Amino acid sequence: MTVLGEVALWIALPVALWGTVVSFVGGRFRRGDLVLSGERTVYMLTLLLLVVSAGIIAAFLGNQYEYRYVANYSNRELDTYFKVAGLWAGQRGSLVFWTLLLSVFSSIAVFQNRRRNREFMPYVSGTLLGLLSFLLVVLLFADVNPFERMGFTPVNGRGLNPQLQNYWMTIHPPTLYLGFTAFAVPFAFAVSALLTNRLDSRWIAITRRWILLSWFFLTNGIIFGMRWAYEELGWGGYWFWDPVENASLLPWLTATAFLHSIQIQENRGMLKVWNMGLVVTTFLLTIFATFLTRSGLIESVHSFAENLRIAYIFLGFMGGMAALSAVLIVYRLASLRSENQIQSFLSRESAFLFNNFLLVGVTFAVAWGTLFPLITEGFFGETRNVGPPYFNSVNIPIGLILLALMGIGPVIAWRRASRRNLLRNFTVPVLAAAGALGALAVIGVRHSMALATFTIAVFVMTIVITEFWKGTRARARIAGEGMWNALGSLVRRNRRRWGGYTVHAGVVIVFTGLAGAAFDVRMEQELAPGEAMTVRSALGTEYRLVYESLSHSRPRVAEGERENDWRWTALLTVYRDGERVGILRPERRFYPVMEQQSTEVGIASTAFEDLYVIPKEVDLESGSERVTFEAKALPLVPWIWYGGLLVTVGALIGLWPAARVSAPAAVRRRSRPGPLPAAAAG
Amino acid sequence: MTALVGGVLLAAGVALFILEPVFSGRRAMRYGGDDDFDEGAARRRVALTALRDLEYDRATGKLDEEDYDALKLELSREALMHLGRDEDAGEGPGTEALRISRQLEDEIAQIRRAIRRGMQCVSCEHVNSIGARYCGRCGKRLITGAAPAGTSSDGAVS
Repeated sequence: MTVLGEVALWIALPVALWGTVVSFVGGRFRRGDLVLSGERTVYMLTLLLLVVSAGIIAAFLGNQYEYRYVANYSNRELDTYFKVAGLWAGQRGSLVFWTLLLSVFSSIAVFQNRRRNREFMPYVSGTLLGLLSFLLVVLLFADVNPFERMGFTPVNGRGLNPQLQNYWMTIHPPTLYLGFTAFAVPFAFAVSALLTNRLDSRWIAITRRWILLSWFFLTNGIIFGMRWAYEELGWGGYWFWDPVENASLLPWLTATAFLHSIQIQENRGMLKVWNMGLVVTTFLLTIFATFLTRSGLIESVHSFAENLRIAYIFLGFMGGMAALSAVLIVYRLASLRSENQIQSFLSRESAFLFNNFLLVGVTFAVAWGTLFPLITEGFFGETRNVGPPYFNSVNIPIGLILLALMGIGPVIAWRRASRRNLLRNFTVPVLAAAGALGALAVIGVRHSMALATFTIAVFVMTIVITEFWKGTRARARIAGEGMWNALGSLVRRNRRRWGGYTVHAGVVIVFTGLAGAAFDVRMEQELAPGEAMTVRSALGTEYRLVYESLSHSRPRVAEGERENDWRWTALLTVYRDGERVGILRPERRFYPVMEQQSTEVGIASTAFEDLYVIPKEVDLESGSERVTFEAKALPLVPWIWYGGLLVTVGALIGLWPAARVSAPAAVRRRSRPGPLPAAAAG
Repeated sequence: MTALVGGVLLAAGVALFILEPVFSGRRAMRYGGDDDFDEGAARRRVALTALRDLEYDRATGKLDEEDYDALKLELSREALMHLGRDEDAGEGPGTEALRISRQLEDEIAQIRRAIRRGMQCVSCEHVNSIGARYCGRCGKRLITGAAPAGTSSDGAVS
C-alpha cells in the first residue's frame, strides 16, 4: 500500500500539470473537451491523493520505520489513532494532508458547478489545479517527500512529541486545515472573475457560502487550538501569541473583514478593489500559516525545525501569487470602479468600513509582531522577540473598539441614519452599560481593561438582544404568529443577519471570558499525602484541595511490547465552599521513547470559573510521594468555550441553505431569461 | 511487485479517464442551463432586499418617517434603474421605465397591503391575491385580518 501511495504521488504531478494547462487553454480557446478533461483531472487528483494518504497511514500502522517521516513521528507503542493522525503530525505529512483537502474541496466546487457558472469554471479548475501542481512539486522535489527512505530500518521510531499525544491532535489540525484549504475556492473564483472580466458581485454571490464555510472551520480550528493549549500545555493559559497561533489568526482576521466588506459590495457596489485585495491576502495568509506551522522559520511551540529551504520556496510562491494578483487587479481596475459613494458618516457602510480598517490594522500589528524576530535578524543580525505585552497592548484596545462596533453597526441603518434615531436606539444600551460599570465599580473591580470589556460587552449584548426582541415582536405582529414561531421565521427569512448577530453575541461572551484572565489567582504548595491547600477565587469561591495519594501506573500492553508512557497520578479531593464536589487526577507522564516529561492537568469546572491543578514536581527519590501542586482559580474561562459554541451556532445559521425569497411577480418575470444576452457576452 | 502493477493500472485508469474527452470529443457545458444570474437581476434582488430591510428598520424604529420616505424613493429608483438596463433599445426607454415604475409601485403597494391583511403566506412567503383563504402556492391556510392588535392567532399558525 505504501509503495502504491508513493507511485500515486508521482502520477499525481503530471496529471495536475496536464489539468492546469488544459483548463486554461480550454477556457481561453473555448475548447469544451479540454475543459472537461481538466475537470476530470480534479476528480482524479482527489483519488490519487487519497491513495497517497492511505499509503502514509499504512506506513504508520505497519511501523515501517525505513521511511524517515514515519520514524520521526511514531513509535511502536503509540496508540493507533495517533498513528493515523501521524498523517498531519509533521511537515511532510501535513503538506500531503493539505493537498488532499484542497483537492477534495476543488472536486466539490467543480461538481457543484458542473451545470452552473460555466464561464468561470475553466479558470477556477485551472487555478486550483495550478495550486495543487505547486504543492506536488514541493512534495516531490523540496526534500519533504513523505516516502523518503533512510537506507536502513531502525528498530523503533523516535516517537510523537508528548504534547501532540492528546485527543485534540486528531481534531484541531484537520479543522484548521479545512478552513485554510476551503478558502482556495473563493480565491480561484476571484482569479477567474478577474480573468474573464466579470467583476460584478457574481463571484461573491457564488462563493459567499464557501467564504463562510472557511471562516467556520478557521474559527473552530482556532478555538479547538485554544482548548488544546489549555488542557495540554499545563500553565492555565490558552493563547500565547505564539507565531503559529498568530499565523492561524491572520487569515481569520482578514476573512472576518472580508465577510463584512462583501456586504457593502453586494448592497452598494462599492469596495471592489478592496474586496479583491482581501480575498487574495486571506488566501496568501492561509498559505503562510500552513508553511509556518511546520517550517521552523520562526521558533514556536509548534515547529520542530526541519527544513528552511521549503520556507523560502513558499515565500517565493507567495510573492509570485501576490504579484500576479496585483497585476491582474491593476489590469482590471477600470471594471472595479465603485458604483456609489458613502452618503453619510452615520451609516452602516461607514461602520463596516471602520470595522475593516480595524481588522486589517490588527492583522498588520499581529503580522509585524510575528515577523519581528525575522526582521530584526535581517537588519540587525540578532533575533529579538516581542512578547505578549506587545500584542496585548496593541490588540486589546483595537479589539475593544471592534467589540463596540459590533453593537453600533447593526443599529445604524444602511446609507444614512439620523442622530435622533441613534440617540433613541442607544439610550437603553448605554444606560445598561453605565449601570453595569457602576455595579462593577461598587463591588470593587478596578482592572481598567476588564472594566472596559465588561461594560462594552453589556452594551453590545443589550443591543443584540433588543434587535432579536424587536424583530420578533415586529414579525409576530405582522404575521400574527406566536413569539417562538415569529423568532423562527424571522431567522429563516434573513439567516445572514440573524446568524451574524448570533455570532456577535458569541464573540461578546468570548471577550468576557478572556477578560476574566485579569482576575486569575494562583497558588503553589508542596503537599504530602493527607495534606491540603486552599485557594480563594476572585469570585469568592473557596476551594480546598486534599492530596490523597500518588499512584504509579503503566498502561497495559501486549506481551513483548513496551509502554508508550509511564504515569504518576495524584489523587485530589476537591471541596468547593466546604462541600465535596469531586476528585481530580492530575498526572505527570514520562515518555521513555522520546525521553520527555509532560503534565496532564486536572480541571474542575463550574459555569463561571475553572479550578486548574498542575502537578509541578513529584518527589520520587525520597519515596515520600510529596508533590508540588500549582492550583489556579480562573474566572470566566468556561465562557470562552460557551461563547465559541454560540459563534459556531451563528455560523451554522448563516451556512444553512436558505429558502428562496420570492420576489414580486413583475421582477420575476423580468429576470427570467429568454435567450440570455449575458450568455452571448460571456 | 503487486504495488507496481497496481500503480501501472492506476496510472492507466487515470490517464484514460482524463484523456477520454479529448479523444471522443465529449465537451464540458459551456454555459449553464439554469445560469440566470446577471448583474441586473442581482441588483434588483439587492434593491428588493434593501426595501424589505427598510420596512424592517422602520418597524424597529431605526429610521424615522422622513428618512424612510427619502430612502424608499431612492431604493425604488435604483430597482427601476436596474430594470431599465435590461430593456431592449427599440422600445422608448422613458415610457417603458414609467410603465415598469408604475408596475413596481403597484406591486410594492400590493405586497404591503397583503402583508397588512395577512395575505402573504407565513410558510412560503407567497403573496396571494386579496380575498384568498388558502395560499396559492403551498396550500396553507392564510391568516387573514391578523394585523389589528389584540387578534390572537397563535393556534392558527404552525
